[in-house]
Amino acid sequence: MQPSMGLRTPPVRSDAESVPSATKMQIENLSIFYRDFRAVSNVSLSIGAQRITAIIGPSGCGKSTLLRALNRMNDLVPGSHAEGQIILDGQPLYARNVDVVDVRRRIGMVFQRPNPFPKSIYDNVAYGPRLYGVRSKSNLDELVEKSLRQAALWDEVRDKLHQSGLSLSGGQQQRLCIARALAVEPEVILMDEPASALDPISTLRIEELMHDLVKDYTIIIVTHNMQQAARVSDFTAMMMIDEHRAGRVIEYNATRIIFTNPTDRRTEDYVTGRFG
Amino acid sequence: MNHRSIRRQIWRKSINSVMLALCGAAALAVVAPLLLILGYVVREGLPAITPQFFTALPTPVGVPGGGVVNALAGSLMTVGLGLVMAAPVGILAGIYAAMHPDNPFGVLIRFGTDVISGVPSIVMGIFAYTLVVLPQRHFSALSGGVVLAFIMLPTLTRTTEEMIRLVPSSLRDGSLALGAPEWKTTIDVLLPAALNGLVTGIMLAVARAAGEAAPMMFTAFGNPFINLDFTQPVETLPHMIFTYAISPYGDWHGKAWATALVLITLILLLNVAARLLVWWRGRRLGLVR
Amino acid sequence: MSSTSLSVLADLRRAWQHGDRLYRSLLAAAGLSTIALILGIGVQLWQNSALARHAFGWRFLVTSYWDPALTDTFGALPFILGTLVTSCIALLAAIPLGVGAAIFLAELAPDWISQPLGFLVELLAAVPSVVYGLWGLFVFIPVFVRPTSEVLNRSLGFLPFFQGPVFGPSRLAAGLLLAIMVFPTITAISRDVLRAIPNSQREAALAIGATRWEMIYQVLIPYGTSGLLGAIILGLGRALGETIAVTMVIGNNLDLSASLLHPGYTMASIIANEFTEATFDLYLHALIEIGLILFVMTLVINLVARLLIWRVSRRTTLQVRA
Repeated sequence: MQPSMGLRTPPVRSDAESVPSATKMQIENLSIFYRDFRAVSNVSLSIGAQRITAIIGPSGCGKSTLLRALNRMNDLVPGSHAEGQIILDGQPLYARNVDVVDVRRRIGMVFQRPNPFPKSIYDNVAYGPRLYGVRSKSNLDELVEKSLRQAALWDEVRDKLHQSGLSLSGGQQQRLCIARALAVEPEVILMDEPASALDPISTLRIEELMHDLVKDYTIIIVTHNMQQAARVSDFTAMMMIDEHRAGRVIEYNATRIIFTNPTDRRTEDYVTGRFG
Repeated sequence: MNHRSIRRQIWRKSINSVMLALCGAAALAVVAPLLLILGYVVREGLPAITPQFFTALPTPVGVPGGGVVNALAGSLMTVGLGLVMAAPVGILAGIYAAMHPDNPFGVLIRFGTDVISGVPSIVMGIFAYTLVVLPQRHFSALSGGVVLAFIMLPTLTRTTEEMIRLVPSSLRDGSLALGAPEWKTTIDVLLPAALNGLVTGIMLAVARAAGEAAPMMFTAFGNPFINLDFTQPVETLPHMIFTYAISPYGDWHGKAWATALVLITLILLLNVAARLLVWWRGRRLGLVR
Repeated sequence: MSSTSLSVLADLRRAWQHGDRLYRSLLAAAGLSTIALILGIGVQLWQNSALARHAFGWRFLVTSYWDPALTDTFGALPFILGTLVTSCIALLAAIPLGVGAAIFLAELAPDWISQPLGFLVELLAAVPSVVYGLWGLFVFIPVFVRPTSEVLNRSLGFLPFFQGPVFGPSRLAAGLLLAIMVFPTITAISRDVLRAIPNSQREAALAIGATRWEMIYQVLIPYGTSGLLGAIILGLGRALGETIAVTMVIGNNLDLSASLLHPGYTMASIIANEFTEATFDLYLHALIEIGLILFVMTLVINLVARLLIWRVSRRTTLQVRA
């Protein structure tokens, strides 16, 4: 399962399974509806803190829908509603008096196509902190540098912070988006196929980045690239559409097991490339 | 970063609610005048509307009754003449612009059309005056038609261009591939396919021209009688409204409202019909679900 | 196939090709006519204002003496100022309301509200100017403008802008009526500008934890600034040239005071009022020169506005490509 490109490969994290981790997010019987249509059905997962969890499956199986439910971005789709519950550090996310804005700060998101604002690099990263009232230049400078370092972008842009974010290459723009998400100090980072629009070298850099980030953050990544899931994640959830066209998690286990000794026949077919 | 500051969160939330509510209020404020205007026009104008209103000539001050038949005729004449003059040019120019979207000339046409539509109608009126009235030494329906043609031109060009663009290129290619020359393709294939789009453009252009009062003041000028001679002055609906409204006579004010009711009904019907036509056509082509 | 029918076909072919040449030149001529029109207007206005231009030169723009009766002196300053003042009032009122309404239509309202509401806004644009004037004169002024003016006069009357006495028709009335007439332009174009902004920008802002308003105000509006500016400038262009409605509510008075509550005069109004009464050539030429000034102003403003709007659409396509 190692990429054969002769590039530096990220180390496999062997301690992931042996060192138990606390549960960061608990997804309980979550179903997501678009009006009457059930798009995702009865998902229950335990997301480990400071671990990388991958969600894989054939296209159209509801991976992105599930991911977007975690930070309640699905709320933006008219007619969309959810049943079940998601618990973050003991607090339910789908409840009466939940502040959605705060949920989205605590759970950050990186999208498939980089989407920096048409502002300077500095202003892109500083956007979030400014929302929360950070005004002083020195605080902002510090936060911007810290976030860009965490996103492994600082050295490349330190001299051109006031250039437009759009002047960067695709891979750099995506790291800028990661820095932007990190600047509000989230606890969980959701990544929706973060490298699918990028070239192989940029993809590998993002994967290295994830290995560094997971020391401080919990990461959940959706990917259609199985090799990427195998390289990068500690736990993998396999999703598929059932007979009612709703997505379900059919298997969830340590990545090593999913890819070498899966329980479900369909998982085995998928990861060995027999379909999808 | 003190993102947990409760006060800051409350502040952000309140600003959010207030500003969004203000936007809703703005939307109401923008739409309210339409309803108010229509309401008043109907309320003040309806009492004076009788069948006679459409068939009689205006009566002198103080004499009750009377109608606007001269203005109806005059409006028909000027708008009709303007349409006859502007439609061929506008449709052809629109076809050109649709066929050559990237050609600098095509871009120039589109740009020029947009710019013309921004020229005040009174300036158009002066232009028509110098072109037609001065040499002829008198006001006429002809000059009125000319100025309305200029005013209708941009609308016709723009709508034609957009409608021709909507015709799938496969239709045009099919005809050309059979060996038909361009002009025949246009007449036999393009125009019929875009037909109700063109009709829409004509309706919108007519609606706009029918309401123009300012340029009429020194082209068509006005006439208390029906006149079907294009070389003589005629009365038009909007000009009549203006004359009645600024007069000091109360009963003429009432007639102004009534004429306004007739004019605005006509214009709104044209606009609604035009939009319905576009929607219906869009459904037929499968563009609108 | 016999040779005769082949040659018939060949003749037909040739005739058709000629037809195409004619057709193409017709198209080009029609296209040219649009540009010829603009040039033609400029030329005619220029030539037919010659007497006034030669008599007064640049002083025309800055003199405020308008006397066709005695001294035959003409200065356009009161009208230029009047046009600018009423247009400014119109914009001051129309920008916040128009852009706010556009935000509501594009971002906040669900489809079943924004469709009909958008339609109503477009209908507003179809109402003819003279009907606005009629309503303005007999409803808007007595019911709304007059009481508002009296309140302004009482509370802010120490300022030169709000000095009395308060009549009916006034610059304020004209400015506010113009604002209503300009709403549809600003709202419709701004709404289109906002709609064209890619969704990824909205998602990026919301995913960081911005509120809806913060997303609109700090991300969407800066993104669409040139387009919004274009919409506003187009609105300004419409306001500058508006004739009949303004004539009916502004009072048509050569008053040069600074008070908004006094009647005034605009370039379009004086042309409308005095054109048919211009009994001698210099008078007529002076009025036409005012038309020329108006033409140039609206031309420049429209050019700037269209360029700005074109720039926004270009940037969006460029970004999509990147």
